[in-house]
Amino acid sequence: MSAAVSTLRVERASKRFGGLKVFEDVSFSVPAGGVMGVIGPNGAGKTTLINVMCGMLTPTAGRILLDGNDITGRPFHAVSRAGVVRSFQQTNTFRSVSVEENLYRALKFNRLADGESLRMDDLLDEFGLTRHLAEPSDKLPYGHQKMLGLIMTLAARPRFLLLDEPAAGLERRERSNIDRFVDHARKVLGCGVLVVEHDMDLVKRICPHILVLESGRTLAEGPPGDVLARRDVIDAYLGTSAA
Amino acid sequence: MVTFVSAGVIGLSMGAQYALIAIGFTLIFGILGVVNFAHGGFYVLGGYLAFTLSHVLGVPFVAAIVLATIATAAIGYVVEIVLVEKYVVDHLATMLITLGFYQILITAIVVFYGAEPMDFSFPITGSLRSGGIFVPYSNLIVFVVCGAAIAAVYWLVYRTRYGIALRAMADDGPVARSQGIPPATMFPMAFAIATGLAGLTGALVTPMLALDPHVGEGVLLKAFVVVILGGMGSIPGAMLAAFIVGLTEAYASVYLGGSKGALVLFVLVLVILLVRPQGIFGTEARKA
Repeated sequence: MSAAVSTLRVERASKRFGGLKVFEDVSFSVPAGGVMGVIGPNGAGKTTLINVMCGMLTPTAGRILLDGNDITGRPFHAVSRAGVVRSFQQTNTFRSVSVEENLYRALKFNRLADGESLRMDDLLDEFGLTRHLAEPSDKLPYGHQKMLGLIMTLAARPRFLLLDEPAAGLERRERSNIDRFVDHARKVLGCGVLVVEHDMDLVKRICPHILVLESGRTLAEGPPGDVLARRDVIDAYLGTSAA
Repeated sequence: MVTFVSAGVIGLSMGAQYALIAIGFTLIFGILGVVNFAHGGFYVLGGYLAFTLSHVLGVPFVAAIVLATIATAAIGYVVEIVLVEKYVVDHLATMLITLGFYQILITAIVVFYGAEPMDFSFPITGSLRSGGIFVPYSNLIVFVVCGAAIAAVYWLVYRTRYGIALRAMADDGPVARSQGIPPATMFPMAFAIATGLAGLTGALVTPMLALDPHVGEGVLLKAFVVVILGGMGSIPGAMLAAFIVGLTEAYASVYLGGSKGALVLFVLVLVILLVRPQGIFGTEARKA
């Protein structure tokens, strides 16, 4: 690893499906320890962006660089191994087995003896999962399943986490769990985090830097206070006013 | 009482063979989402390979069975990579591909060996007699070997890192991949294990039952029944259902006569499925 701050960089990336342009010429960097929010109306290409970054899809043009190394086109599991790990918008767990077995699998697949060094137990306690260890994971309340899935991503020892709508489906009072999770990932693992999210309050709380995607292009980038006050961003979200 | 015990032992021996076939079938379905219509073909192939090795080339029977198992596993591995892998997400395509491969395989066997049954016999004859109970040694051997193979598969699937990864892949492929599990090595191996089990069963059982190019059809049908009864994709379900089917057949044929065995079996399956449409250990339908 280089002495310079580790970064995950998207360089002039485009993705098309046949004639359908999903996004075009998108560039940005996530630094280690940093949190970047990606927002935009539905269909702006946010989930596809994550799919391209994690290796599930190959970009039509452009590159994905991890610490300057080109990881474009590497298969999904290899990108995870390299330290760029995603979560899914729905649950991120193995539904047929218990909470404990889910955690066991995540540790086992990543050749970890236990979650000690990642302090996964702290999060299990905080999110109220410890007393549900023996229960089937798909019988847990949705919020619990979602937090379990997020905790499992830590077993892959991510250097960069790509979170696809982590707060979607959570009750309002559960959403601070996401703040807590992101904070843990940054402080304990030194992760850089990219968050795709619709909950603007959450985005403002945890992301010092945001990028707005609209119809597949970068509309604005910068601190949320500035970006969210911009006329074109408001229009993109609410539609252009007739007046 | 004596008949009851003898029929029970034969039922267990049949259940063990059905279990081996069905575990492989359900493994392929659970992990790849592929309904392997060629599964019976690998059973037939195992039989013909063991026959050729032992009766034509003079290889000892045990070695012939081991070699036939390894060969069917290797052929399954290649079939997965060459024919199935590219279309693995397309359920209809993989059904047609495996059905097509089955037709080609069986036709090739007819061309090489002819359509007549082979004179393939189990090298150990005789029966265990004790207190009027009568059990052919061949049934006992099949039961023991199948039992050992089931235990080995169980160990592999539930106790090893590879097996845990296989089950995780069956549960949720994308989540498993996000945890660093490579599908490219999991899928062909799962297919090879499954076809190897079918080959082993064929090598072991065809000398007892019959070996002709078309014995695979009944075997595939039985695998379907067992797997649907046990719950698609469930390995414990397949094991339990296989023994239910084996014992039902054995008892029905002893007490009701041969042709009524199938009737009783299908009525039983129908009733179980009316009560539990997802099968004994089945969960909801597989995600698309």
